[in-house]
Amino acid sequence: MHILILLLYILLLFTVVMLHVAYATYFERKIIGHMQVRMGPMEVGWHGLLQPIADGIKCFFKEDIIPENVDPLGFRLAPVVSLTAMVASLAVLPFAPGWVLADIDIGLLFVFAMSGLAGYGVILAGWASNSKFSFLGGLRSMAQVISYEIALGLSLVGVMLLSGSLNLSTIVEAQGGTFGGMYIFPQFIAFGVFFVAMLAETNRVPFDLPEAEAELVSGYSTEYSGMRYAIFFMAEYVGMLVMSSLGTICFFGGWSGPFAVPYFPALWFVLKVYAFMFVFIWIRATMPRYRYDQLMELGWKWLIPLALANIVLTAVCKALF
Amino acid sequence: MQIQYKKKRNLLQNLFLSELVQGMWLTLRRLFTKPITLQYPHEQPNVRRGFRGQHALVRDPETHTTRCVGCMKCVMVCPSRCIRIRIQKKPEHGNRRFINEYHIDALRCVYCGYCAEVCPVNAIILTEVFAYSAFDRKSLSYDMSQLLDNWDRYLAEQGEDLAQYINPTWRPRGLPEGPMPAGKRLPVPDDWKGKGQVVGRLWRQSVQGQNR
Repeated sequence: MHILILLLYILLLFTVVMLHVAYATYFERKIIGHMQVRMGPMEVGWHGLLQPIADGIKCFFKEDIIPENVDPLGFRLAPVVSLTAMVASLAVLPFAPGWVLADIDIGLLFVFAMSGLAGYGVILAGWASNSKFSFLGGLRSMAQVISYEIALGLSLVGVMLLSGSLNLSTIVEAQGGTFGGMYIFPQFIAFGVFFVAMLAETNRVPFDLPEAEAELVSGYSTEYSGMRYAIFFMAEYVGMLVMSSLGTICFFGGWSGPFAVPYFPALWFVLKVYAFMFVFIWIRATMPRYRYDQLMELGWKWLIPLALANIVLTAVCKALF
Repeated sequence: MQIQYKKKRNLLQNLFLSELVQGMWLTLRRLFTKPITLQYPHEQPNVRRGFRGQHALVRDPETHTTRCVGCMKCVMVCPSRCIRIRIQKKPEHGNRRFINEYHIDALRCVYCGYCAEVCPVNAIILTEVFAYSAFDRKSLSYDMSQLLDNWDRYLAEQGEDLAQYINPTWRPRGLPEGPMPAGKRLPVPDDWKGKGQVVGRLWRQSVQGQNR
């Protein structure tokens, strides 16, 4: 019985997140459109509201093409690995008090592990596609994920030190539910590092080198089409959602807000996550892409030392006061 | 000329990413402006007189055929060589040329409007009609009767009289009147000629309120 209820929750979460992903694409196209003084999708439904549904149907019913020279197993496996790893990290995110599928004590580590695993999907896709563009995209992704994973992990060590836990619910509770208690204030350096590393980790502009369309056609997803391509897309957007949630939980007090909302306690959480998503999209509409060596320089020469310094600073402050 | 470079950023500006903030601020402001998109099939663009669209041959109200005298200037000037004219001389009419065939391949045309500009009798015109695509090449390769029909349709749509009609493709704004052939010295409003002419940016501003 317990398992059935859990399965129901999982199904519910998965459905909500997938709908969210569908409308995140709409949200992105609309916002980027208006930032570029265009309109974005307008034709399907009122102001294009049914556009994501139409896109989904189209991708689903497209011919499933597997090019001749690819490695069939790796090619089929890569999108699934990407999506599964990303979706798995949803399990530990607390959306509201008690609204969490698996309230485990290593939640933060689990999210890191899963976002690291999602990188494998991209690398596998690049390798299995047997194409130059895909291969270069895969290589870039590998280098990028490895260097920024470190900065991402180190930037959250300060949060771990302050809250004394890796459990995401405990981290939210440790922030005390007040405005002043949010970890963004004592951990502003960590947040800066986290934010940049988060963009790089999700392969978003300005760090979208693995799928740099100007030089690599579409990077690791060049050989993909139809549903498999859509799965990569979903993985990217779920990744954005997970990283936004992680930022909300670790730095902006998770579900706590100015007042409690009856029936839907996750409201504040959702609003904060949407604000994060908006910034993601806003940056995409504004920033040019980094050069590859600049990307590496930023990661290794700036973010990692900054994150390390922040750890030392936090530890010293915590020991003294 | 001295090039004015941006001032070098100081440490504080570097630290707080001032240039990134400027860019982000710009895109954020644009988010709240009105899009300039025209939802084309639902809204029609406001096409002004002088837009170079579908070709037509002006039908002379007296002879009910083209005004073309077969001087071949348009054929010579056409950069894409899409005009083909076949003329005939009849001994009983002396040197007069009769047009047997006037043919324009609209798919090769680059819509430069030179043919209309050079025509001494204002026979050919590029109308403001722009939506005339077809499913085959043949129907976009106009012969004389089709070109004359294009003109009839265009004039009926515009609801104008040929006696008053004038098109900037015949006599572009801002050209001096002296070197023009007699047929091109049409009665035009003062802002088309001489010192009072309104061209370029000024023209665009002056017609902002008008409907053409």
